[in-house]
Amino acid sequence: MKKLVALLVGISMIFCAALALAEATGADVKGTGETLTIYTNSGDSGRSDWLKERAAQDGFDVVILEEGAGAVQQRLIGEAANPIADVVYGLNAIIWNDLIARDILVPYDAPSWASEVSEGLNDPDGYYYAIVKQAILLVYDSNQVSAEEAPKDWTDLWENEALHGKYRVETSLTGGTTRNVIAGILCRYLDENGELGVSDEGWAAIEAFFQNGVPAESGVNLYQEMIAPNKPTLMGQMWSSGVVQYDAEYGTTSGIVVPEVGVPYAVEGIGIINGTKKMDEALRFIEWFGSAQIQGEWAERFGTMPANELAADKADATQRELCSIPTQDIDWAVVAENIDDWCEKITLEYMQ
Amino acid sequence: MKKFKERLGRLTPGKAVIGLLFTWFILTCIVIPVVNLLGTVFFADGGFSLEPIQKLLRSKKAMSSLKNSFILAPTLSITVGFVGISLVLITEYFDVKGANILRLGYMTTLIYGGIILVSGYKFIYGANGFLTNILAGIFPGFNQNWFQGFWAVLFVMTFSCTSNHMIFLRNAMRSVDFQTVEAARNMGASQFTILRRVVLPVLLPSLFAVTILTFITGLSAMSAPLLVGGTGFQTINPMIKTFADTQNSKDLAALLSLVLGIATMILLFIMTQIEKKGHYMSVSKVKTKIVKQKITNPVVNVLVHVYAYVLFAIYVLPVILIVLFSFTSSKNIATRTLDFSSFSLENYRYLLSNTSNYKPFVVSIVYSALAAVVVGAIVVAACRIIQKSKNSLSSGLLEYSLMIPWLLPTTLIALALMMLYNQRHWYMFNQVLTGTMVILLIGYVVIKLPFTMRMTKAAFFGLDNALEDASHNLGAGEWYTFRRVIFPSILPTVMAIAALNFNGLLGDYDMSIFLYHPLNKTLGVQIKSLTDESTNPNNTALTFVYAVLLMIISAIVLYLVYGRGSQDNTTSKLTKG
Repeated sequence: MKKLVALLVGISMIFCAALALAEATGADVKGTGETLTIYTNSGDSGRSDWLKERAAQDGFDVVILEEGAGAVQQRLIGEAANPIADVVYGLNAIIWNDLIARDILVPYDAPSWASEVSEGLNDPDGYYYAIVKQAILLVYDSNQVSAEEAPKDWTDLWENEALHGKYRVETSLTGGTTRNVIAGILCRYLDENGELGVSDEGWAAIEAFFQNGVPAESGVNLYQEMIAPNKPTLMGQMWSSGVVQYDAEYGTTSGIVVPEVGVPYAVEGIGIINGTKKMDEALRFIEWFGSAQIQGEWAERFGTMPANELAADKADATQRELCSIPTQDIDWAVVAENIDDWCEKITLEYMQ
Repeated sequence: MKKFKERLGRLTPGKAVIGLLFTWFILTCIVIPVVNLLGTVFFADGGFSLEPIQKLLRSKKAMSSLKNSFILAPTLSITVGFVGISLVLITEYFDVKGANILRLGYMTTLIYGGIILVSGYKFIYGANGFLTNILAGIFPGFNQNWFQGFWAVLFVMTFSCTSNHMIFLRNAMRSVDFQTVEAARNMGASQFTILRRVVLPVLLPSLFAVTILTFITGLSAMSAPLLVGGTGFQTINPMIKTFADTQNSKDLAALLSLVLGIATMILLFIMTQIEKKGHYMSVSKVKTKIVKQKITNPVVNVLVHVYAYVLFAIYVLPVILIVLFSFTSSKNIATRTLDFSSFSLENYRYLLSNTSNYKPFVVSIVYSALAAVVVGAIVVAACRIIQKSKNSLSSGLLEYSLMIPWLLPTTLIALALMMLYNQRHWYMFNQVLTGTMVILLIGYVVIKLPFTMRMTKAAFFGLDNALEDASHNLGAGEWYTFRRVIFPSILPTVMAIAALNFNGLLGDYDMSIFLYHPLNKTLGVQIKSLTDESTNPNNTALTFVYAVLLMIISAIVLYLVYGRGSQDNTTSKLTKG
């Protein structure tokens, strides 16, 4: 009995000591008020205003610069010699890997929430940890296309002649979604001996994809094209939260193609800029921002799909369903290394 | 050598300082950044390779796009020239009923442009557009997509690129001397002869300048081919833009824009030579304001009126539709259905209720105004130097170096500045500029230099040298002459250019996106993020709302510049009366 009491006392003492030593984690972390400059492509529709206010409540002072993903990337590269940003969040795996290769990020110790993130989304080397995921889908207007007529995979678009001239292809290959689609197609044909690491078969496939599609109309989105009379477009690429929003806006019912190989996921992450002078505050901010609590609030407010599984139930039901489609196996490092050259070749040789 | 010493002897401290300032500005803000950028893109792997050239030559799409650009530019120069001249004649020279209203309509291109303008045209001529539906009603089986390809691009651009004519050619028309016209008529010259032999020569310097601008606009066409070119008629600039936005394809972007740039420079050089040969001043020393000419032939008169009002409709309808559609939803815009019962102020409320939406307006207005003033001052000084030392090597160098920004697309100039000044350089006083408020101002000034230079120079060419001589003979000093004689006579043009620059920069995106300070977001960036389709499904409607707000600001600015001018007109009419 004495032994047991001693053991219990011992355990509880260790426990108390541990509690006293352990710092606050997750949403309990408070900022010191040191100003952090944050770059992101995910700051629109009131996101950056919300984040600024919400962070201020917990003692963080943040300045947010929001631009398109490509512009954030270029800006970070351009400022590398004298970085202005401390933290960057958002982007996608392709850009994250490019920034890592250019030595623009520093790896950091996993925040406490990293283990709560769906498997395979965090960077294995600790350069970035995932916060939001977005499925990149092939969608069609189910009012005009039946499930039987619909493609079963991207490959059907060019292999099935009935679908020729009915799907939209982008005319500028700089967008994140577009690049994920191209990566999702070309990574099926990787071949070390092929041109730019892709087999001849792969190039023939991507050529057929672009040749048989309807070039996107500039300034007009996919859903506008699908509902426009006299426009043959009935399907095209879309990110998962877009499906929910566009269906609401245009009164469409999107059909979703679920390929056997799965779909690419655009993973928004959070990383620290190599050369920041505010490392400690940056770490505190990341610990706070990625927590299930804050990511849950974010998801409720902006309809995103949190990468943090503990916050998943805060996401919209359709969104949750879309993001339960299996992940396509893509080697993002290879994609990041080659995507610019791939897109260049496609633009020069295969576009209509 | 002796000559050089003589020149050195004439060099006053003031001139030396100005010379140094210009050299420093041109080197640090234009030449070094551009050379540095071209170095990094072409010598990326340590050595120069011909690979980018081969890539482009192999690409059918690149070649046909390039060819299309070179077809469009000269064709456009002719069609825009024709329409532009007729606009000026209708509003300023001939007695056409309702000229004041017509003028307002013709000036609508000054307050909007780009994607929005072409969208406006598509509402009328595109699939399910107003005119298309009427035609389809008359001719069953009418092709809804008739408005596509080369002719559609040419049509849209012919009418949308007359802004410069409406400003600079109109200004020139005001210096046509009425007494010479009268004299010619008394000697029995026909209306056509007067037009050709008396009026046109006075317009020539401005006509040269605006034609060059039209040519460049044609070469770098973007929105019109993208929206109405279809697969059959795509131009090169969208491709340049795509490559400029891609990290590893910048060499192709730079190469393609150099091809366009060199073509522009050759044209500029030829035009400058022609300009130098001729002396286009009106001989009259005491100018009288033109009295509008009645068209004598009744048939021609009716035809001119019909033509004038058809043009008016072409110009005004897109604007009306854009304003109307800004009250609807993206869905209405997509299906081209104007349903008055669904009109709402929701879009406006969404934009204006968001407090963070005000600041970008202020930031952009301040930046654009500053840039317009700075670029105007630099260019007026430069033109004065060029005017004083005609044909010297330094003046030629000065003129062409200020044109360098025409060689590269805005994106690359922004990157050039950002990449160079993210480190300390002695020639920039060891300051890092990237991430400061200054760098965007520099960027704005640099991209507006060539246009400002070309148009201001035309104004200086149009100056009557006798005025300056008279001032000198009366004992006025150099600075006094400039301040009291020369500057006032070019002021209307300088103001007009400043207004155009201001309006052009107000919604700038390409430059701002790379250089804006995180605390001071510009309007263009704000518009882009609010109307980004990835986050807001109602983005198209919001784009229209922003376009309408920009139109309002631009119109106010133009009114401030031109409102004064028209008041002068009324007072002179009153005193005459």
